[in-house]
Amino acid sequence: MINHIPDTIELIDFVDDGEQARHYHFRLLPLREGQIKSKHLEHNWQNVQPGQFFMLYVPSVGEAPFTFTKAPNKQGEFRAFVRKMGQVTSGLFAMQRGDILGARGPFGRGWPIETIQNNNILIVAGGCGLAPLVTFIDGLIDKQVNGHQHNKLKKQQLVLVYGARNETAQMLNPERDRWQQHIKIFNTLDEYEEENISNTFQGSPLTIISEALSEFTSKPRTALLCGPEIMMKSVANYLTEYGIAGNDIFLALERRMHCAVGLCGHCYINNKYVCTGGPTFSWQEVKSLLN
Amino acid sequence: MKTYLIDNLPILQHHLTLNYQFHQIVKNHDGQFHWQHINSEEINPLVHDKPQSSAKSYFFADQENVLIFNGEYFQETLPTPKPFVLFGMQSCDLTAIHYQDQFFKDDPYYQGRRQQSLLVGLDCIAPCDNGFCKTVNAGPGVSADCADLVLHPLKNNQWLLIEQTNKGADAIKGLKLKKADSNCVTERNYTLSECEQLFPDDNYLTQGIKKLNSGKISDTFWQKVAIQCLGCSGCTTLCPTCSCYDTRTIKQDNNNISQQRYWDSCLYEGFQREASFNNPSLEAGSRVKRFWHHKFGDDFFTDFSRYGCVGCGRCEQTCPGVIGVHSVMKHIEQEN
Repeated sequence: MINHIPDTIELIDFVDDGEQARHYHFRLLPLREGQIKSKHLEHNWQNVQPGQFFMLYVPSVGEAPFTFTKAPNKQGEFRAFVRKMGQVTSGLFAMQRGDILGARGPFGRGWPIETIQNNNILIVAGGCGLAPLVTFIDGLIDKQVNGHQHNKLKKQQLVLVYGARNETAQMLNPERDRWQQHIKIFNTLDEYEEENISNTFQGSPLTIISEALSEFTSKPRTALLCGPEIMMKSVANYLTEYGIAGNDIFLALERRMHCAVGLCGHCYINNKYVCTGGPTFSWQEVKSLLN
Repeated sequence: MKTYLIDNLPILQHHLTLNYQFHQIVKNHDGQFHWQHINSEEINPLVHDKPQSSAKSYFFADQENVLIFNGEYFQETLPTPKPFVLFGMQSCDLTAIHYQDQFFKDDPYYQGRRQQSLLVGLDCIAPCDNGFCKTVNAGPGVSADCADLVLHPLKNNQWLLIEQTNKGADAIKGLKLKKADSNCVTERNYTLSECEQLFPDDNYLTQGIKKLNSGKISDTFWQKVAIQCLGCSGCTTLCPTCSCYDTRTIKQDNNNISQQRYWDSCLYEGFQREASFNNPSLEAGSRVKRFWHHKFGDDFFTDFSRYGCVGCGRCEQTCPGVIGVHSVMKHIEQEN
């Protein structure tokens, strides 16, 4: 049976990063005194795939889906990037270190790691859409750094195009600073006045994409996209014309969710549910379903 | 499959009240028929009339607590109903329960109730208002996999009782029942086949379903239909296969917090609206289109081995905008 009940977590810490956005650090707590262990499926915290999500329960407010920016370690500590937007996130932003919340997961289908692990990959993200890509990019960079130390891995190329409305809307600054040492990053800003920030261009990701593609020594086989749907659709169409196959372009979609297990019906896209069929879909799967 | 002949139906009804909370369809003061819990001394004759609401709330509650948070941890609040029988349920509603059994097969709240239930089906021997169960393979006879026991009215006020499951067999243990001969089964088949002939012409329904799946119905068509959708949720509330829900948090008197789930409707404007106010189904036309695809789309047929509509016709009866199933299918059929 499905387990609808959150595990108890503690808010360990948070750090501001970007406009109304924070990195949150949580820790799963062991069974409390008096708590009866659920007889249903346990939440599988030690097997989180990049791109999967969890449901965060903010007491007195409700639940909403968030992606992991660091999967739970053996001590049950994990991280998430949250932008203050609606009731659940406003409730979270009002909480203090040491407060108790709930979490259940992991849910959904993440990035297809197994099938793309040796490919050259173009990543295009917009705004908060970079969050579901953090554990994937971190994992790949780790693998390359360690792989090269042992001289085992062929250099796999990764190029990131990151779009934001303006400088204050740019998120995940520490992550991008860290990645910059290992991968090529192009930043785009819709509102860009200074025009002297390195690797930053005026416009949307689409305006810089050809330049990003020319960075690859051999054509990228795979593209991972996450951000506003309109951006993903235009980029996916561009990349299809460029020659990347529809089943090699992957999009992480966002929908309102209440159950995360395919029951509440809110996250539908025609006959598919984003919570169980996604959030990652190939362009081939969803092209005809997205208006 | 064992079959019995029953001369006196109240004996069966009273027997079931010994081990089950007894529920049957009754006519209320408002003139409508409803499912109701009745005591053994108030047993009524069986009615053939379709109830205003299906029995879906017996399993998928219109609102229920999912958990309690006491400030320290979360605890599940599973339902623990006593065994109950739904006596005399029509085939359309039984087919809907069979459909939801698949949908909620791993949901402990639904299954907590469902496992305590005994379903006694009742064959329909005449079409009901707006009903088209025959067209969508949901009646008028109760199919073998949808009920524990099935009743069929025979001539001379007798009943044929068909035992379909072990649960059904256990429920009638201890009752002295006459075995029915094969003539009774033949009579049942004949009566049901005669009933099927009495359904009005359903060509516009079959053509409408075909056309809906052809991909040739424009978004403009759905926008036009949606002008008549008031977003009242009458159709989704009464539809026996609709199962969307929302959740809310409620503060209890003892300061504990409960999380409830409650019926929602995909036809509400805010159904898919996100915290950012982005709304993937902002257009009423897109919501109405998706609702009808959920009921008749071939993609869903593949998932459930049947359509999501069981032909009860309640949406037609209730829709104030006159875009229930018959009206919509007629519009689709006429659309060029």
